[in-house]
Amino acid sequence: MSPLTLLFLISALGLVAWVIARTRARRFRRVTRQRFSSLPQHHGWYVALCTVVPALTFLLIWYFVSPALVTDAVLATSRAALLPPPGFDRAAILSEAREIAAGRAFGAFTPLGQALAPAYAAAQARFDTIGTVVALLLAFAGGAWSFLRVRPGFSARSRTEGLIMWLLLAASLVAIATTVGIVLSLVVESARFFRIVPVADFLFGTHWSPSVIDPRDPGAALGAVPLFWGTFFIGAVIAMAVAVPLGLMSAIYLTQYATPRARRWMKPLLEVLAGVPTVVYGYFAALTVAPVVREAGSALGIASASSESALAAGLVMGIMIIPFVSSMADDSLAAVPSAMRDGSLAMGATSAETIKRVLVPAALPGVIGGVLLAISRAVGETMIVVMAASGTATLTLNPFASTTTVTKQIVDLLTGEAEFASAKTLAAFALGLTLFAITLLLNVVALMVVRRYREAYD
Amino acid sequence: MTETLVPQAPVSTAEIAPHRPTDWRSHAMERRIRRRYTAERRFRLLGLGAVVVSAACLAFLLIVMIAQGYQGFVETRLTLPLDLRDLRLERSPERLKGPGADLALAGAGLERAVDAAANRAYEAEGGAALLSDGAWLRVRDAIKHDPRLLTHPFTLALPVASAIDVAAKGNGTPAAERSVAKLGAHLSCGAAWDFFTGADSTDAARAGIWGALKGSLLTMVVTLALAFPVGVLSAIYLEEYAPRNRATDFIEVSINNLAAVPSIVFGLLGLAVFLGTLHLPRSAPLVGGLTLALMTMPVIVIASRNAIRAVPPSIRDAALAVGASPIQVVSHHVLPLAAPGILTGTIIGMARALGETAPLLMIGMRAFIAAPPAGFTDSATALPVQIFLWSDQVSRGFVEKTSAAILVLLVFLVAMNGVAIFLRNRFETRW
Repeated sequence: MSPLTLLFLISALGLVAWVIARTRARRFRRVTRQRFSSLPQHHGWYVALCTVVPALTFLLIWYFVSPALVTDAVLATSRAALLPPPGFDRAAILSEAREIAAGRAFGAFTPLGQALAPAYAAAQARFDTIGTVVALLLAFAGGAWSFLRVRPGFSARSRTEGLIMWLLLAASLVAIATTVGIVLSLVVESARFFRIVPVADFLFGTHWSPSVIDPRDPGAALGAVPLFWGTFFIGAVIAMAVAVPLGLMSAIYLTQYATPRARRWMKPLLEVLAGVPTVVYGYFAALTVAPVVREAGSALGIASASSESALAAGLVMGIMIIPFVSSMADDSLAAVPSAMRDGSLAMGATSAETIKRVLVPAALPGVIGGVLLAISRAVGETMIVVMAASGTATLTLNPFASTTTVTKQIVDLLTGEAEFASAKTLAAFALGLTLFAITLLLNVVALMVVRRYREAYD
Repeated sequence: MTETLVPQAPVSTAEIAPHRPTDWRSHAMERRIRRRYTAERRFRLLGLGAVVVSAACLAFLLIVMIAQGYQGFVETRLTLPLDLRDLRLERSPERLKGPGADLALAGAGLERAVDAAANRAYEAEGGAALLSDGAWLRVRDAIKHDPRLLTHPFTLALPVASAIDVAAKGNGTPAAERSVAKLGAHLSCGAAWDFFTGADSTDAARAGIWGALKGSLLTMVVTLALAFPVGVLSAIYLEEYAPRNRATDFIEVSINNLAAVPSIVFGLLGLAVFLGTLHLPRSAPLVGGLTLALMTMPVIVIASRNAIRAVPPSIRDAALAVGASPIQVVSHHVLPLAAPGILTGTIIGMARALGETAPLLMIGMRAFIAAPPAGFTDSATALPVQIFLWSDQVSRGFVEKTSAAILVLLVFLVAMNGVAIFLRNRFETRW
């Protein structure tokens, strides 16, 4: 039975249980004159949850456990004795057999994979049947057990609510599971990478050319400093040079000068810049901005002007970041008490002087926090640099030269034709870990800046 | 007595310079005020300039996309006289309407017949090479629509090859430009419906977005089915029931951090966990949806929490006072009142997920896929990924296709955000 059918069947059982239990509860409400703690539908919900939840929990666990059980069953067959010792070959043959058994592949490269496929299919079918039967039994057992408890004195409402509370808790644990999943997957793969390449070579090496890795000294070609520099240069220097002045001045104009009517129209217009998909910006950068930048570079007499320059990617990224800076600055300017502004104006300062000498200094922690968040955003931005920046890593201060970034290299490393466990693909995870750490650090620092240095007015 | 209460200020007039009132009319002062007012105006203009420049960037981006993209919705057609009377069909023309007509016509050599007709009519200009590879399918559909076409000569406007199409729109190669000049009046324009119904193709003239759009829709279904319930439930828990302790703080911190994690890291997570550990099928909307759901969930949680927090406590107290249980308070009162805000946040989160590309690249949704996916576990691509793939194509015909696909994506995003704004304005209550 396919998982979807089974899911549907269990849900249908739950519905049936709800109806039956509610009917029964209604009947005893009619015949007894006792006061009840629960409405009939609470009894219905209680029985339905007792039917569905155990069965679904079992199915979820079974889904993760059964592949290992199937593999064990296959390894126990007589043919499996011919398998090579554990290692890459063995895994390849097994996965081939698995693919054939599942109907996703039709021929095997190894005769053994072909031979093991029927055993795989049989074991898979056996364990699928076991899973289905147990899940349905659990559903029936849970339903029957809870149905027997439907009595006038039974407090179905508080039991149901207890169950729902667990469900809510489980939902909020998904966030933790995701965080743990990210950290674990990055750390585990990076640990495998650092067994091949020394940490120091990766973090402090200045030569990056993953296409030609010397197997005796893979660290020599995997020094990530040029990537870190490129990321910093594009995301934190060029993009911010565009986004900070434009974003800050826009926020100042919108909060201090614009009429409420104009503000109502202009603010959403700026927010649209943040809503445009990054792939659109990437296309815009690669097709429209990059040629212009190269022409400009050539006109300025820069021989190395590239069509994959840091400037093109950084400019467009800056445009994308404007609304982030602007809305953070907007919030922190609005948080400055109006007494300060009014006081300054009353002393005879012009609006511009008030803004420059009073409002901006008072709002500075918020603005700096916003800029740090914007940098973290720019550093993690992928599609613009994938489409507009170059693949070759260079350490250069020239904004017209080609530059690469961490995110661009992650995409390049993982979309090439390399096997999964090579130094190249593992390097992508190490880069991912670095990126994760950097953005986390930037966010934490941004929060700290906002909290520690915010003046406590009022 | 009274004199002693008056404070005796130490007055020493000798140290204070004789007071002279500021002469506001003096030349120096007037110049100074003028300078300050000029600075004020300059600063204000600078602010306006920043807003205008930002808006101009947006306008420029849109204009470039529209200018390049609208041609993607238009195809160039070549009028071709056809005579299919000697086509050998296995069945009578009357039965061509039923199933099997496609096979019957293909088996009768329709493609060759169309090529031959093109060679006859436009031998000097390039013959069959002028037509798109899919041109004969257009003839097939016309015949299926009206089988009597097989009994007499007729003319049909067929889509031209990509090179000619690009040249007819004004930026082709010199050779193609010459062919276009020679064909002249035989060329016409029409709406490119194939762009909306086709899937990816190596031939720009046949490439369409339906395959990618369907992949995107399937992915969004998975994302919504997972991220919405989980996000709303955890928002309810954190906002209404969670005890104030370290565990809750940890959940809150991880949700806020997840919202700031770069999307490509979610792609790495999907690659390592869903593909590497769980062996789910590569390139499938299921995996794409799972990955995007993890990315969208924090957005939904944060928006839902804000909406729930905006419901005034008096409503909870009133419900509790008449005997509702905490769960009933939430499900009967808080949730319905917070629903507009929750839905708005969800739609905005989904719009972001729809435009997301990088995580999908990581889990392999970038393969060339020539047929729309049939289910959640089929190989598929998504609309933004399709844009990325087309932008890499060398062939000139793909430039307009890419921009046209971008326009379609933007229309979807504008529609979703429009619905979100409408919901917010229409149903949101200010307390």
